[in-house]
Amino acid sequence: MRIYLFGYASDDFLARVIVTPTERTVAQLADQLVAWGLEPERGGSLTMRNEMGDLLDPDSTIAATGLGNGDTFTVERR
Amino acid sequence: MVLRRDDWLELARKVNWAPRYVDEREMFPEELSGHPWLTHDAWRDWNEAYRTTYREYVANQREKDAAVLGVRSALDKPHLFDGLDPGWVQLVKFHNGAVALVEYAGAIAELRMARFGRDSAWRMMSSLGALDEIRHTQIPLLIGHDMLAYDGNFDWTHKAFHTDQWVILAARHLFDDMFLAADAIDSAIQLNFVFETGFSNLQFMAMAAMADRAHHHLFEKTLASIQTDEARHAQIGHPVMRTLLANGSRERAQYLVDKMWWRCWRLFLALTGTAMEYLTPLDARTRSFKEFMKEWVAEQFMKNLAEFDLEKPWFWDLFVEELDYAHHSFQLGLYTYRTTLWFDVAMPDDAEREWLNTKYPDWEATYGPLWDRLERNWKAGGESNTLSYGLPALCNLCQLPALFIRPGRNTACTLEMGGRRYLFCSEPCRWIFQQESARFADHKSVVDRIVVGEAPGKLTDLHQWMGLEAPVETGKDLRRGLDPWRLDPIPTA
Repeated sequence: MRIYLFGYASDDFLARVIVTPTERTVAQLADQLVAWGLEPERGGSLTMRNEMGDLLDPDSTIAATGLGNGDTFTVERR
Repeated sequence: MVLRRDDWLELARKVNWAPRYVDEREMFPEELSGHPWLTHDAWRDWNEAYRTTYREYVANQREKDAAVLGVRSALDKPHLFDGLDPGWVQLVKFHNGAVALVEYAGAIAELRMARFGRDSAWRMMSSLGALDEIRHTQIPLLIGHDMLAYDGNFDWTHKAFHTDQWVILAARHLFDDMFLAADAIDSAIQLNFVFETGFSNLQFMAMAAMADRAHHHLFEKTLASIQTDEARHAQIGHPVMRTLLANGSRERAQYLVDKMWWRCWRLFLALTGTAMEYLTPLDARTRSFKEFMKEWVAEQFMKNLAEFDLEKPWFWDLFVEELDYAHHSFQLGLYTYRTTLWFDVAMPDDAEREWLNTKYPDWEATYGPLWDRLERNWKAGGESNTLSYGLPALCNLCQLPALFIRPGRNTACTLEMGGRRYLFCSEPCRWIFQQESARFADHKSVVDRIVVGEAPGKLTDLHQWMGLEAPVETGKDLRRGLDPWRLDPIPTA
């Protein structure tokens, strides 16, 4: 199933809409978000949190994290 | 013998007859006159500070029109653009599209108060206010029309408000809430008390000062002329506020003030903040947007609050924090999504960056790397390499992109209601939505419409949906990749 989410990359300046299949992993979702940003090739490790601030397991599927249509998430790059 | 003004004015402005065939409540229904509904006794002392007769009004307006039209004639149409900075031309285009037909909507608000305001003096002031707003529509339309021969996008002076372009949707959402879908009391507080005594001063007077320094004397005359009208009819708000507070409506008054302050701030950072600091030539900048906001808007607003013993809005600290950043983040949004605009957008050059860093000491560290990145993208892959192709998330209250205050400082939040999840750029936007959720819940942002298939997801189709004929009308980089910029003439549509 495809859902739409609102993603915030820590080095970006606005939130972006991400449409994604829920069977993808959290790590893939983080990569998808930073690919839309201004410096996709910079690399660095990515961590992802939901709106409550909970750290999400990069190997979990999006479906398993409970993220659904219209949810927000934040990706931090170090 | 003709009566002297002072012999008849007091009598004429207070003609409040007692209706015989309907009762007062039917004549002034709460739905249109506003709440709390009070008998006329409560409104009897409604007084404007500066009184005007119709004769004086007509004489003054005639002089003001003559001053504006005199400059227009003196310049002669073939010279309207002579000597103007290309960035400034885009600023005028942005301003005209966003403002001209809002003024016309403002006439409807004034006319509602002219019929449903609760005292005859209020109704008289609003009648003149409606004439003001019609004038404020006609002048930019006339000047925009003059500009058409040189730049076809000046037709957005009239066209913009008839489109679903995203900036315009945000503006319509605000002004519908402020006055088109508001009763007479709410309009007086939101439009006259908050917007006109606070924010429009910035849009018209501060920008008039900049227009003078940018040698755009027609625009300067237009803005200054409009502001003198605004200052007169803005005084409608004070006696309405006084009556509300004297009759137990302090909480309602405080809510309207808080709500409208935040909503106006949102639009002004997008419209005025970006225009002042990224489209105004350096030598025309007298103060920074932040300095203008503090001196011209916040200080005046504080005096108004103190006069009525009202509280500072609960989100004041967030507003102060945003003054340093939010419009700079927004400019990056305008630049990278410029093909969805009807005007061209600038990337700051070295001298402008230095000026920005003087005014905002964190600017270079915060935004410099992002602009550097865009410069490198241009060199590596041309203009298309500097555009965003994914959709930005939009706030379900202000309808503007859900920006970070600055990179890494995210204030967005959501709300689950009626089986739908709403996104907000900030706590104040969510708070306003929650206070009047029935008013706002059914509205769909552009992104919501794309998601449910009511608007096209493909960018080229979306341009058309927003009324933009690509590539002629769509916004471009102001300097078209030229370096140093502004040396060559800017091609026009």
